[in-house]
Amino acid sequence: VMLAMNATNARPHVAVAAQQRQALRGSAVKGINVKPNAVVRMNTVTRAHVVKLPEGVTTEKLGRDVFNTTYYPKGEDVDMSRKPWVVVDAAGLRLGRLSTYVATYLRGGNSPSYSPSFNMGCNVIVINAADVVVTGKKFEDKLYYNQGVRGKPGSMKVETYRSLHGRMPERVVERAIRGMLPKNRMGRETFTHLKVYAGSEHPHAAQSPQDVTADCMRATHKANQCDLESCAPQ
Amino acid sequence: MTVREKIFAAAKGMRGRAKNCIKIARNRVEKSWQYQYRDRRNKKRDWRRLWITRINAATREHGVKYNEFINGLGRENVCVDRKILAELAVNEPHSFKALVDRVKHMRGL
Repeated sequence: VMLAMNATNARPHVAVAAQQRQALRGSAVKGINVKPNAVVRMNTVTRAHVVKLPEGVTTEKLGRDVFNTTYYPKGEDVDMSRKPWVVVDAAGLRLGRLSTYVATYLRGGNSPSYSPSFNMGCNVIVINAADVVVTGKKFEDKLYYNQGVRGKPGSMKVETYRSLHGRMPERVVERAIRGMLPKNRMGRETFTHLKVYAGSEHPHAAQSPQDVTADCMRATHKANQCDLESCAPQ
Repeated sequence: MTVREKIFAAAKGMRGRAKNCIKIARNRVEKSWQYQYRDRRNKKRDWRRLWITRINAATREHGVKYNEFINGLGRENVCVDRKILAELAVNEPHSFKALVDRVKHMRGL
Protein backbone atom coordinates (compact mmCIF):
# COMPACT_ATOMS: atom_id res chain seq x y z
CA VAL A 1 0.00 0.00 0.00
CA MET A 2 2.85 2.36 0.84
CA LEU A 3 4.47 1.68 -2.52
CA ALA A 4 1.25 2.40 -4.32
CA MET A 5 0.72 5.65 -2.47
CA ASN A 6 4.22 6.85 -3.19
CA ALA A 7 4.28 5.94 -6.83
CA THR A 8 0.92 7.08 -8.04
CA ASN A 9 0.20 10.54 -6.77
CA ALA A 10 -0.62 11.54 -10.28
CA ARG A 11 -3.32 8.86 -10.48
CA PRO A 12 -5.04 8.85 -7.10
CA HIS A 13 -7.85 6.52 -8.10
CA VAL A 14 -5.37 3.75 -8.75
CA ALA A 15 -3.92 4.26 -5.30
CA VAL A 16 -7.33 3.91 -3.73
CA ALA A 17 -8.00 0.78 -5.72
CA ALA A 18 -4.73 -0.75 -4.64
CA GLN A 19 -5.49 0.16 -1.05
CA GLN A 20 -8.86 -1.51 -1.18
CA ARG A 21 -7.41 -4.60 -2.77
CA GLN A 22 -4.81 -4.81 -0.03
CA ALA A 23 -7.47 -4.43 2.64
CA LEU A 24 -9.52 -7.21 1.14
CA ARG A 25 -6.59 -9.57 0.89
CA GLY A 26 -5.88 -9.09 4.55
CA SER A 27 -9.45 -9.90 5.57
CA ALA A 28 -10.26 -13.07 7.40
CA VAL A 29 -12.41 -14.54 4.67
CA LYS A 30 -11.32 -18.08 4.06
CA GLY A 31 -12.59 -20.47 1.51
CA ILE A 32 -14.46 -17.89 -0.52
CA ASN A 33 -12.65 -16.09 -3.32
CA VAL A 34 -13.33 -12.41 -2.94
CA LYS A 35 -12.74 -10.74 -6.26
CA PRO A 36 -11.24 -7.33 -5.46
CA ASN A 37 -12.05 -5.98 -8.87
CA ALA A 38 -15.71 -6.53 -8.22
CA VAL A 39 -15.65 -4.12 -5.28
CA VAL A 40 -13.80 -1.31 -7.01
CA ARG A 41 -16.13 0.53 -9.31
CA MET A 42 -14.05 2.99 -11.22
CA ASN A 43 -14.39 4.64 -14.57
CA THR A 44 -12.37 1.89 -16.16
CA VAL A 45 -14.02 -0.08 -18.89
CA THR A 46 -13.45 -3.82 -18.77
CA ARG A 47 -12.88 -5.25 -22.17
CA ALA A 48 -13.23 -8.90 -23.06
CA HIS A 49 -9.94 -10.71 -22.87
CA VAL A 50 -9.41 -11.72 -26.48
CA VAL A 51 -7.08 -14.65 -26.85
CA LYS A 52 -4.85 -14.44 -29.88
CA LEU A 53 -4.53 -17.90 -31.32
CA PRO A 54 -1.34 -18.93 -33.06
CA GLU A 55 -1.27 -19.28 -36.82
CA GLY A 56 -3.30 -22.04 -38.30
CA VAL A 57 -5.23 -22.92 -35.14
CA THR A 58 -8.97 -22.82 -35.56
CA THR A 59 -11.66 -23.20 -32.98
CA GLU A 60 -15.28 -23.97 -33.39
CA LYS A 61 -18.10 -22.73 -31.27
CA LEU A 62 -19.50 -25.62 -29.29
CA GLY A 63 -23.03 -24.31 -29.05
CA ARG A 64 -24.68 -22.34 -26.31
CA ASP A 65 -22.53 -20.82 -23.57
CA VAL A 66 -23.87 -22.66 -20.57
CA PHE A 67 -21.75 -20.95 -17.97
CA ASN A 68 -22.55 -17.35 -18.73
CA THR A 69 -26.23 -17.56 -19.60
CA THR A 70 -28.94 -18.14 -17.07
CA TYR A 71 -30.47 -21.59 -17.13
CA TYR A 72 -33.85 -21.62 -18.79
CA PRO A 73 -35.54 -24.85 -19.76
CA LYS A 74 -36.80 -25.76 -23.17
CA GLY A 75 -40.13 -27.42 -23.77
CA GLU A 76 -38.58 -30.84 -23.96
CA ASP A 77 -36.91 -30.41 -20.58
CA VAL A 78 -40.27 -30.27 -18.90
CA ASP A 79 -41.43 -33.87 -18.70
CA MET A 80 -44.95 -34.02 -17.42
CA SER A 81 -44.90 -37.74 -16.81
CA ARG A 82 -42.07 -37.47 -14.32
CA LYS A 83 -43.45 -34.75 -12.13
CA PRO A 84 -42.93 -35.62 -8.49
CA TRP A 85 -45.93 -36.36 -6.30
CA VAL A 86 -46.33 -34.83 -2.88
CA VAL A 87 -49.00 -35.31 -0.22
CA VAL A 88 -50.05 -32.91 2.53
CA ASP A 89 -52.28 -33.80 5.45
CA ALA A 90 -54.45 -30.74 6.00
CA ALA A 91 -55.91 -31.76 9.33
CA GLY A 92 -55.51 -28.90 11.79
CA LEU A 93 -53.71 -26.61 9.36
CA ARG A 94 -55.04 -23.13 8.71
CA LEU A 95 -56.69 -22.69 5.35
CA GLY A 96 -54.81 -19.77 3.84
CA ARG A 97 -51.39 -20.67 5.15
CA LEU A 98 -51.73 -24.22 3.86
CA SER A 99 -52.86 -22.88 0.50
CA THR A 100 -49.83 -20.64 -0.02
CA TYR A 101 -47.56 -23.55 0.72
CA VAL A 102 -49.38 -25.85 -1.68
CA ALA A 103 -49.57 -23.20 -4.39
CA THR A 104 -45.82 -22.72 -4.19
CA TYR A 105 -45.27 -26.43 -4.67
CA LEU A 106 -47.76 -26.59 -7.52
CA ARG A 107 -46.11 -23.78 -9.40
CA GLY A 108 -42.59 -25.00 -8.81
CA GLY A 109 -41.47 -22.12 -6.63
CA ASN A 110 -39.80 -24.46 -4.16
CA SER A 111 -37.03 -25.53 -6.51
CA PRO A 112 -34.03 -23.51 -7.70
CA SER A 113 -34.83 -24.25 -11.33
CA TYR A 114 -38.11 -22.37 -11.12
CA SER A 115 -39.18 -20.92 -14.45
CA PRO A 116 -42.36 -18.87 -14.63
CA SER A 117 -43.31 -19.86 -18.15
CA PHE A 118 -43.11 -23.58 -17.53
CA ASN A 119 -44.96 -25.81 -15.15
CA MET A 120 -42.14 -27.44 -13.25
CA GLY A 121 -43.95 -28.00 -10.01
CA CYS A 122 -45.22 -31.10 -8.29
CA ASN A 123 -48.49 -32.89 -8.27
CA VAL A 124 -49.92 -32.14 -4.83
CA ILE A 125 -52.43 -34.30 -3.00
CA VAL A 126 -54.25 -32.73 -0.07
CA ILE A 127 -55.98 -35.17 2.26
CA ASN A 128 -58.27 -34.54 5.22
CA ALA A 129 -59.45 -31.35 3.61
CA ALA A 130 -62.58 -31.51 5.72
CA ASP A 131 -60.47 -30.93 8.86
CA VAL A 132 -58.84 -27.73 7.69
CA VAL A 133 -59.19 -24.91 10.20
CA VAL A 134 -60.26 -21.29 9.89
CA THR A 135 -59.73 -19.03 12.85
CA GLY A 136 -61.88 -16.34 14.30
CA LYS A 137 -65.49 -16.11 13.20
CA LYS A 138 -64.77 -17.09 9.61
CA PHE A 139 -66.66 -20.37 9.91
CA GLU A 140 -69.89 -18.40 10.21
CA ASP A 141 -68.97 -15.13 8.53
CA LYS A 142 -66.75 -15.94 5.54
CA LEU A 143 -68.75 -15.61 2.35
CA TYR A 144 -68.12 -17.13 -1.03
CA TYR A 145 -69.44 -15.16 -3.96
CA ASN A 146 -70.15 -16.84 -7.26
CA GLN A 147 -71.14 -14.82 -10.26
CA GLY A 148 -74.34 -16.27 -11.57
CA VAL A 149 -74.78 -18.42 -14.61
CA ARG A 150 -76.80 -15.83 -16.44
CA GLY A 151 -74.18 -13.13 -16.01
CA LYS A 152 -76.79 -10.57 -15.05
CA PRO A 153 -77.06 -8.61 -11.82
CA GLY A 154 -79.20 -10.36 -9.28
CA SER A 155 -78.00 -13.82 -10.22
CA MET A 156 -75.01 -13.80 -7.91
CA LYS A 157 -74.86 -16.67 -5.45
CA VAL A 158 -73.57 -16.08 -1.96
CA GLU A 159 -72.65 -18.94 0.29
CA THR A 160 -71.25 -19.10 3.79
CA TYR A 161 -68.18 -21.10 4.68
CA ARG A 162 -70.28 -23.34 6.91
CA SER A 163 -72.62 -24.18 4.06
CA LEU A 164 -69.93 -24.81 1.45
CA HIS A 165 -67.90 -26.84 3.91
CA GLY A 166 -70.95 -28.95 4.68
CA ARG A 167 -71.71 -29.42 1.01
CA MET A 168 -68.26 -29.97 -0.51
CA PRO A 169 -65.30 -29.60 1.85
CA GLU A 170 -62.84 -30.13 -1.00
CA ARG A 171 -64.18 -27.03 -2.72
CA VAL A 172 -63.03 -24.81 0.16
CA VAL A 173 -59.39 -25.82 -0.22
CA GLU A 174 -59.57 -25.85 -4.00
CA ARG A 175 -61.04 -22.38 -4.06
CA ALA A 176 -58.34 -21.03 -1.79
CA ILE A 177 -55.55 -22.54 -3.84
CA ARG A 178 -57.02 -21.55 -7.17
CA GLY A 179 -57.09 -17.97 -6.00
CA MET A 180 -53.35 -18.18 -5.36
CA LEU A 181 -52.40 -19.57 -8.74
CA PRO A 182 -52.03 -17.38 -11.82
CA LYS A 183 -55.31 -16.73 -13.61
CA ASN A 184 -54.31 -17.74 -17.09
CA ARG A 185 -54.00 -20.78 -19.29
CA MET A 186 -51.06 -22.16 -17.40
CA GLY A 187 -52.65 -21.41 -14.06
CA ARG A 188 -55.68 -23.42 -15.02
CA GLU A 189 -53.49 -26.26 -16.20
CA THR A 190 -51.48 -26.09 -12.97
CA PHE A 191 -54.67 -26.39 -10.99
CA THR A 192 -55.36 -29.75 -12.60
CA HIS A 193 -52.27 -31.08 -10.84
CA LEU A 194 -53.90 -30.48 -7.46
CA LYS A 195 -55.92 -33.32 -5.99
CA VAL A 196 -57.95 -32.60 -2.88
CA TYR A 197 -59.72 -35.26 -0.86
CA ALA A 198 -61.98 -34.69 2.11
CA GLY A 199 -61.04 -37.95 3.80
CA SER A 200 -57.71 -39.51 4.58
CA GLU A 201 -57.62 -41.89 1.65
CA HIS A 202 -56.30 -41.05 -1.78
CA PRO A 203 -56.10 -43.27 -4.85
CA HIS A 204 -52.59 -42.22 -5.84
CA ALA A 205 -50.61 -44.69 -3.77
CA ALA A 206 -49.09 -46.08 -6.97
CA GLN A 207 -47.31 -42.76 -7.51
CA SER A 208 -45.69 -43.10 -4.05
CA PRO A 209 -46.13 -39.48 -3.06
CA GLN A 210 -43.75 -37.92 -0.61
CA ASP A 211 -45.23 -36.64 2.63
CA VAL A 212 -44.36 -32.99 3.24
CA THR A 213 -46.84 -32.31 6.03
CA ALA A 214 -44.07 -31.83 8.58
CA ASP A 215 -42.37 -29.26 6.39
CA CYS A 216 -45.68 -27.50 5.81
CA MET A 217 -46.45 -27.36 9.49
CA ARG A 218 -43.04 -25.95 10.22
CA ALA A 219 -43.44 -23.33 7.52
CA THR A 220 -46.92 -22.31 8.67
CA HIS A 221 -46.56 -22.77 12.38
CA LYS A 222 -48.16 -20.18 14.57
CA ALA A 223 -44.90 -19.62 16.42
CA ASN A 224 -43.27 -18.49 13.20
CA GLN A 225 -45.98 -15.98 12.45
CA CYS A 226 -46.66 -12.81 14.31
CA ASP A 227 -48.40 -13.00 17.64
CA LEU A 228 -52.07 -13.18 16.77
CA GLU A 229 -53.21 -11.11 19.75
CA SER A 230 -50.91 -8.27 18.89
CA CYS A 231 -51.95 -8.40 15.23
CA ALA A 232 -55.65 -8.38 15.94
CA PRO A 233 -57.48 -5.18 15.07
CA GLN A 234 -58.03 -2.98 18.13
CA MET B 1 -34.57 -0.67 -49.42
CA THR B 2 -37.47 1.69 -49.29
CA VAL B 3 -39.06 2.78 -46.05
CA ARG B 4 -42.10 0.72 -46.87
CA GLU B 5 -40.00 -2.39 -47.38
CA LYS B 6 -38.29 -1.79 -44.07
CA ILE B 7 -41.61 -1.55 -42.28
CA PHE B 8 -42.90 -4.74 -43.82
CA ALA B 9 -39.70 -6.50 -42.91
CA ALA B 10 -40.18 -5.44 -39.33
CA ALA B 11 -43.83 -6.47 -39.44
CA LYS B 12 -43.16 -10.12 -40.22
CA GLY B 13 -45.07 -12.46 -37.96
CA MET B 14 -47.74 -9.97 -36.98
CA ARG B 15 -51.34 -10.93 -36.99
CA GLY B 16 -53.87 -10.02 -39.62
CA ARG B 17 -53.62 -6.88 -41.68
CA ALA B 18 -50.75 -5.57 -39.60
CA LYS B 19 -48.29 -7.55 -41.67
CA ASN B 20 -49.69 -6.71 -45.06
CA CYS B 21 -51.30 -3.29 -45.12
CA ILE B 22 -48.96 -0.36 -44.76
CA LYS B 23 -51.25 1.94 -42.84
CA ILE B 24 -51.81 -0.61 -40.11
CA ALA B 25 -48.31 -2.07 -40.29
CA ARG B 26 -46.73 1.30 -39.75
CA ASN B 27 -48.69 1.78 -36.52
CA ARG B 28 -47.94 -1.64 -35.18
CA VAL B 29 -44.28 -1.51 -36.09
CA GLU B 30 -43.83 1.86 -34.41
CA LYS B 31 -45.55 0.45 -31.35
CA SER B 32 -43.28 -2.56 -31.43
CA TRP B 33 -40.27 -0.26 -31.49
CA GLN B 34 -41.62 1.53 -28.40
CA TYR B 35 -42.10 -1.79 -26.67
CA GLN B 36 -38.58 -2.87 -27.59
CA TYR B 37 -37.17 0.34 -26.15
CA ARG B 38 -39.10 -0.13 -22.94
CA ASP B 39 -38.42 -3.84 -22.67
CA ARG B 40 -34.67 -3.55 -23.17
CA ARG B 41 -34.79 -1.84 -19.79
CA ASN B 42 -37.40 -4.22 -18.38
CA LYS B 43 -35.37 -7.24 -19.42
CA LYS B 44 -32.72 -6.40 -16.86
CA ARG B 45 -35.31 -6.10 -14.12
CA ASP B 46 -37.06 -9.33 -15.11
CA TRP B 47 -33.90 -11.39 -15.07
CA ARG B 48 -32.96 -10.05 -11.67
CA ARG B 49 -36.38 -10.96 -10.30
CA LEU B 50 -35.98 -14.48 -11.62
CA TRP B 51 -32.56 -14.83 -10.06
CA ILE B 52 -33.85 -13.62 -6.72
CA THR B 53 -36.78 -16.06 -6.81
CA ARG B 54 -34.45 -18.92 -7.63
CA ILE B 55 -31.97 -18.01 -4.92
CA ASN B 56 -34.84 -17.71 -2.44
CA ALA B 57 -36.07 -21.20 -3.30
CA ALA B 58 -32.59 -22.66 -3.12
CA THR B 59 -31.70 -21.12 0.24
CA ARG B 60 -35.03 -22.11 1.76
CA GLU B 61 -34.16 -25.68 0.97
CA HIS B 62 -31.30 -25.21 3.41
CA GLY B 63 -33.36 -23.37 6.00
CA VAL B 64 -32.27 -19.82 5.24
CA LYS B 65 -34.37 -17.09 3.68
CA TYR B 66 -33.23 -14.89 0.82
CA ASN B 67 -32.99 -11.74 2.89
CA GLU B 68 -30.91 -13.43 5.55
CA PHE B 69 -28.70 -14.97 2.88
CA ILE B 70 -27.99 -11.72 1.07
CA ASN B 71 -27.42 -9.92 4.33
CA GLY B 72 -24.98 -12.61 5.39
CA LEU B 73 -23.13 -12.47 2.09
CA GLY B 74 -22.79 -8.73 2.39
CA ARG B 75 -21.39 -9.04 5.88
CA GLU B 76 -18.95 -11.69 4.77
CA ASN B 77 -17.85 -9.42 1.93
CA VAL B 78 -18.74 -12.01 -0.69
CA CYS B 79 -19.30 -10.13 -3.92
CA VAL B 80 -20.86 -12.89 -6.00
CA ASP B 81 -23.78 -11.39 -7.85
CA ARG B 82 -27.27 -12.77 -8.09
CA LYS B 83 -26.85 -14.05 -11.62
CA ILE B 84 -23.99 -16.31 -10.61
CA LEU B 85 -25.68 -17.29 -7.35
CA ALA B 86 -28.74 -18.44 -9.26
CA GLU B 87 -26.54 -20.31 -11.72
CA LEU B 88 -24.72 -22.03 -8.86
CA ALA B 89 -28.02 -22.93 -7.27
CA VAL B 90 -29.17 -24.69 -10.42
CA ASN B 91 -25.96 -26.28 -11.69
CA GLU B 92 -23.54 -26.40 -8.77
CA PRO B 93 -25.65 -27.20 -5.72
CA HIS B 94 -22.72 -28.18 -3.54
CA SER B 95 -20.93 -24.91 -4.12
CA PHE B 96 -24.14 -23.09 -3.35
CA LYS B 97 -24.55 -25.08 -0.17
CA ALA B 98 -21.04 -24.04 0.84
CA LEU B 99 -22.10 -20.41 0.57
CA VAL B 100 -25.28 -21.04 2.54
CA ASP B 101 -23.34 -22.85 5.24
CA ARG B 102 -20.96 -19.91 5.41
CA VAL B 103 -23.90 -17.61 6.09
CA LYS B 104 -25.42 -19.97 8.63
CA HIS B 105 -22.12 -20.21 10.43
CA MET B 106 -21.87 -16.45 10.54
CA ARG B 107 -25.37 -16.12 11.92
CA GLY B 108 -24.72 -18.82 14.45
CA LEU B 109 -27.28 -21.31 13.17
